[in-house]
Amino acid sequence: MTERPFEDDPTLLLNAALDGELDAAGALDVERRLAADPALAAEYARLAALRDAIRTRLPRERAPDALRARVIAMAQTPNQAAPTAPRRSWRLAERYRPLAASLMLGVLFGAGGYRLFVRPSGDDEVQRAIVAGFIRGRLSGQTVDIATSDRHTVKPWFAGKIAGATTVVDLKGDGFPLVGGRIDVVGRTPVATLIYQRREHQIALTEMPATNPDASTEPRHDTRDGYSLLEWTDRGRLYAAVSDLPPAEIDAFGAAFRHAAAAEREEPPKP
Amino acid sequence: MTTDFARRRFNEMVLPHLDDAYGLARWLTGNRTDAEDVVQDACMRALASLETAVVERPRAWLLTIVRNTAFSWMGKNRPKAVVLVGDSELLDAAAAHRDASPGPEEVLIAAADEAALESAILALPPIFREVVVMRDINGMSYREIAAATGAPQGTVMSRLARARAQLADKLGSPA
Repeated sequence: MTERPFEDDPTLLLNAALDGELDAAGALDVERRLAADPALAAEYARLAALRDAIRTRLPRERAPDALRARVIAMAQTPNQAAPTAPRRSWRLAERYRPLAASLMLGVLFGAGGYRLFVRPSGDDEVQRAIVAGFIRGRLSGQTVDIATSDRHTVKPWFAGKIAGATTVVDLKGDGFPLVGGRIDVVGRTPVATLIYQRREHQIALTEMPATNPDASTEPRHDTRDGYSLLEWTDRGRLYAAVSDLPPAEIDAFGAAFRHAAAAEREEPPKP
Repeated sequence: MTTDFARRRFNEMVLPHLDDAYGLARWLTGNRTDAEDVVQDACMRALASLETAVVERPRAWLLTIVRNTAFSWMGKNRPKAVVLVGDSELLDAAAAHRDASPGPEEVLIAAADEAALESAILALPPIFREVVVMRDINGMSYREIAAATGAPQGTVMSRLARARAQLADKLGSPA
């Protein structure tokens, strides 16, 4: 389609801004244009109203339990040709062979050839998962699912995907600007991970419910596969930061985050 | 034959995203019964490929399979619903409907209820509907949507802009 889509249609730019898909320079450009052009600003407000209405008013439906049960059963059956209680007739083998082949090809191309797969295991599952997520992000160069320095964009983005509220603070003032967020999976639970920048390094901070709902513990250092880890709990939430920064700097990050999170709790809620 | 390896990967990469998969399928097919068929079908394809597939981003990967399954399912079961009009034709039609003066319809849009939103989204042509759903309901990035739909990112952006403009026009005009 169009090579330079922004030139002839500013609404593409507005949409990209709204979706947190612009880099800092692009975002700045949009801010300037919005300030200078009331019609454009009105269009932006209209799009934002639509986006918010879709996100907040449409219910996120859970997959029905019966479907979940069928899918789980399907994977457990030693011979996959016989899923329990199929709803319609399934003629699998012939139907899927060509599809599966083309699909695999697509996935192979799409994934760029990395093969990082972590075995689930009882011990240190959390550490394992977040370090793997960190390595994967660095290798692929795609560390975030949503790229934005605006914490008010990241927080609602998590809202539909993760159980419980996620603490999102910007630490630009402390030298750790927010880059964005992504979903990691620990065991079978999707968890929220925030990405912060420090020079050419990144810090991934994962938040999830702690085993003890009242737990509040001081930060504790660890290293794993050469990466620094910092873990603490705060009112029943477990926070784990992982980075390739030296321990002193990840300490500073932990302190800044805890400070900002505490300050945010004091702040009156935004309308 | 499903090996332990594929099964374990299935548990880690597919099951956590089943709600997302179901949500996308429901929006694409427009109803819950068909969505269940599509998701089960898609999970079977996912399982079959997990033996060898390299999966970096399981959620986007699964949603891509769901999307492709939904379209082939609709092509077979409801051929009339999948209107394969060229992009340019749709985009021109959409542009013709654009309201030239965006005004305080913002208030009307913000007040739109669930039923109005749902029917407006379901009324979009499928290739417009999928980008809105993938973006605003599944929270996929432009890059992921481009990969899932097989369209260039610029095309994804145009479709998204047109789809939202149509929705905003519809919801923003007094009933």
